Amino acid sequence: MFCPQCGASTPDNAVVCMQCGRNLQAAPPPPLQATPYQGAPLQAPGVILPPGATVPNYLVFAILTTVFCCLPAGIPAIVFAAQVNGKLQAGDLAGAQQASKNAKLWCLISLGLGLAVVVIWGLLVLAGVLTGISHQN
Amino acid sequence: METRNRRRLLTALFGAGAVGVILRVFDPATSRIFPPCPVWYLTGWYCPGCGSLRAIHQLLHGNLQAAWAMNPLTVILLPFICYGLVSHAVIAIRGQGNGLPRLFLPAVWIRALCALIVLYGIARNLPFYPFDLLAPGAMLRL
Repeated sequence: MFCPQCGASTPDNAVVCMQCGRNLQAAPPPPLQATPYQGAPLQAPGVILPPGATVPNYLVFAILTTVFCCLPAGIPAIVFAAQVNGKLQAGDLAGAQQASKNAKLWCLISLGLGLAVVVIWGLLVLAGVLTGISHQN
Repeated sequence: METRNRRRLLTALFGAGAVGVILRVFDPATSRIFPPCPVWYLTGWYCPGCGSLRAIHQLLHGNLQAAWAMNPLTVILLPFICYGLVSHAVIAIRGQGNGLPRLFLPAVWIRALCALIVLYGIARNLPFYPFDLLAPGAMLRL
């Protein structure tokens, strides 16, 4: 199948276009007579994305927090980012959204730990400076 | 553009600018305003990100070679990270689907990248040639 927005060729079961990120599930349905019985719909009932929406995988932020904040918490974020894309490729929209939430959660945990270290260090530096000043007097 | 997105974007731009100025003015290799990496502080190991700030400081001064010596993986990944951040910003300004072409990495690639980061972290702690060259700054002593 081809993306209605950018025309890129995408796998038939793709949820989003691999090129431009357009949500292919919200594309206008093909004429009924062309697809009479194709089994269960890919999309779980009740899961409807607004047109053009995508499932973010937070990969960029996962790499950033892994490299700059906290390695142990960043690794799960990257693993969940991989899961998002893997599930999108498999057509599992609900699973991709769950993995997306987990990826975001681990990015935030990693960011929080990194910021905590920066804040603690800042307080230590401040304490050191104040001690230095009081010793000079 | 939504007000919320505009506020987020301005915050992000301001943050990035401030970080850039701090990293250009102060060299993390000599300045003490930067906290030590907790991984290095607690274990003495070089994590995959070790040397990233020193590498970015060198890049901001145009010294690609010194940046590469500090952390080659960071130098390789930075263009992708920048592209990702810029495309997020463009989407925030122009709306979904009107931005830059999105990089969709197949899950296998992301897992490979994850493995690369972990293996790189192990390799740069090995004390023998050629892996010891991956330790931050080691290539400067060649």
